[in-house]
Amino acid sequence: MKSDRDLDEILAELGRDHRGISAPEWLEPVLFAAGGSRKRAGGKPRVRLAWGLAAAAILLAVAATAGVLWQTRGSHGPQSQQARSVAQPGLSHEPVPASTRGVGGETVHAKVVPVRRVRRGSARAIASKQPAWNSLDEFVALPVSEGLAPAAELSVVRVELRGSELQQYGLQAPADGSARNLLAEFVVGEDGLPRAIRIVR
Amino acid sequence: MAALYRRHGGLVYRFTLRMSRDAAAAEEITQEVFLALLTQMGRFDAARGTLSTWLCGIARRQLWKYLERNDAAVLSDLDDEGAAELPCLSDGPAELLLRREAVAAVRAGMDELPPMLREVVILCALEEMSYEQAAQVLEVPVGTVRSRLHRAKARLAHLLRGEMANAERKRG
Repeated sequence: MKSDRDLDEILAELGRDHRGISAPEWLEPVLFAAGGSRKRAGGKPRVRLAWGLAAAAILLAVAATAGVLWQTRGSHGPQSQQARSVAQPGLSHEPVPASTRGVGGETVHAKVVPVRRVRRGSARAIASKQPAWNSLDEFVALPVSEGLAPAAELSVVRVELRGSELQQYGLQAPADGSARNLLAEFVVGEDGLPRAIRIVR
Repeated sequence: MAALYRRHGGLVYRFTLRMSRDAAAAEEITQEVFLALLTQMGRFDAARGTLSTWLCGIARRQLWKYLERNDAAVLSDLDDEGAAELPCLSDGPAELLLRREAVAAVRAGMDELPPMLREVVILCALEEMSYEQAAQVLEVPVGTVRSRLHRAKARLAHLLRGEMANAERKRG
């Protein structure tokens, strides 16, 4: 029947168009970031918003504690350190505030904002800003993340930290950034532990 | 992992995109499929099929969960066994005479197919998988793939005949 032949031709044409669709490129770096710890420990992928917020809160606590420890160590250093929230214009987010009491009595406030969730289209922006993976300009897996349990959910958390603090994540502090504040983005699992990092500025 | 994604990601994404008709859902499912690959690689048996069909099978299971959550109405018509024929689009505009519009009509007709028929058309007709490969993805016998594809094509052909008849009337 003529229409059957037409149908086959139309399906062939649709097939050519269909096979021209490629996988989203932004997923590749996300999978790369997730891959390291998963490959080692295995795990079942599940995504929950609550886990992401909990992860951000834990990271915040880590950042705040690091600030307190740094203050405790030296009286010659800066008198206070504050991790502050960094909002990204145009992106909706829910700040996760926390605070901890410093030794000197002052309160060290820290607010970590999950600026992007590594899910769906929102994470597309991550890859679009990543021309290469061979420097801290792009996300690199953290050495301290080796052996961690698999992260079922990943969040990108932007924090401000001192260059010297990179050492606690197993990284060599940038020569030109060790003495000043850095704006960094961490890929954090739902357990609150960072998997990858990149320096925003 | 990156190489696997570059090689097989397109198939997984296209399949889930065409089935779900939702780019965000397709991206999420594709992500979950490749994350699952990291943890379930040991379950892959090369003797039972190719990696692409295995990944597509994982995608399909994720996809059906998605459809169950989001498209219950569609799932109420899981298969078209005994179902009425699709109505022809014979009331459509005259410009449907053009082949381009016939293609669009078939594409739209595919979207109207029940998921069980749509997936077999996607795999066999669009992805050009063999019946055996499609059977591995769908976890059904090869004969079932043949019969589903036959029914799907019959419905699409019926729709197309309606388009052509309508075009002839307009032309005459």
